Amino acid sequence: MDNRLTPEQERALIEDALKNYPLAPMPRSITVNVMARIQKEVHPAFITWNDFALSIVIAVCIGALFFTMQSLPPIMVAKIRIQGILLYQDILVNVRWLVPAVLFGLAAFFFALTIPFLQRELK
Amino acid sequence: MSGTETTLIQRAQKGDHDAFAALVEEHQRYIFNLALRVVKDENEALDLAQETFVRAWTALPNFKGQSQFRTWLYRIVTNLCYNRLSNLRRSLNDLGDDMLENIPETDSPFDNPAHEFESNETRGYLHRAIEGLDENYRLLITLRYQNELSYEEIASTLNLPLGTVKTGIFRAKAQLRNALAALEDSWITA
Repeated sequence: MDNRLTPEQERALIEDALKNYPLAPMPRSITVNVMARIQKEVHPAFITWNDFALSIVIAVCIGALFFTMQSLPPIMVAKIRIQGILLYQDILVNVRWLVPAVLFGLAAFFFALTIPFLQRELK
Repeated sequence: MSGTETTLIQRAQKGDHDAFAALVEEHQRYIFNLALRVVKDENEALDLAQETFVRAWTALPNFKGQSQFRTWLYRIVTNLCYNRLSNLRRSLNDLGDDMLENIPETDSPFDNPAHEFESNETRGYLHRAIEGLDENYRLLITLRYQNELSYEEIASTLNLPLGTVKTGIFRAKAQLRNALAALEDSWITA
């Protein structure tokens, strides 16, 4: 080629190369693999074996707590009750600080949820 | 979207595996090629294509037909590519949208048949130059020219501003022009 290509020829060559950029052949069809994976998928049941196991553990814990309370000496039960009442009183005294602290925490949590959206907007 | 494809989609949404297999058969080559152009590894591209269709099956009940089925698949495979190549999303966003003009798309490179051989040679050279482009440019070029999406469809598929898509394609072509200039230089010095 003796002369330089004109800008139009350059553009045309690039467009031609882009339009004729060949599709690579598939090394093998993936249909069988995809269908095999899809057929393995089972929709989750409403109650799974995990749910059964967890509910049994919780039921055993509640039962154990109940029988423990039944078999404790009465003086021990009275002491536990006293401690319970003291704890409740303690919470009542501090509740005026607890409410704004919880509200502030919730506000911070909801604000944190918007951070990814704000990051996208600022880009 | 053709009537047949709409029927296949509706049947697949009701759980018809044969209909979905037909859709996989129809679209797999384009999905594989898009993944291949981005990740440049045949096995990885096959994995991505497979994963795309498995995810499409799971999400199929949510497909309302607002976009074309193939565009929807391109969106899934692109998201999988983003997960695979952590810099891809950032490099696309970083393109900016300062360039809103398109290079006019012309038809035949040469009217003179005598130039046909040179044209074929140059085409092969440019194809290698396309393969050497950055992954973000390869993705844009493949969606525009192999998958034949409009600029608007690419913007919607990649969730990018229209200007960014145009800028990306413009810059990809500019890099190809530079490659072509280098080839011309080699002709002149030879």
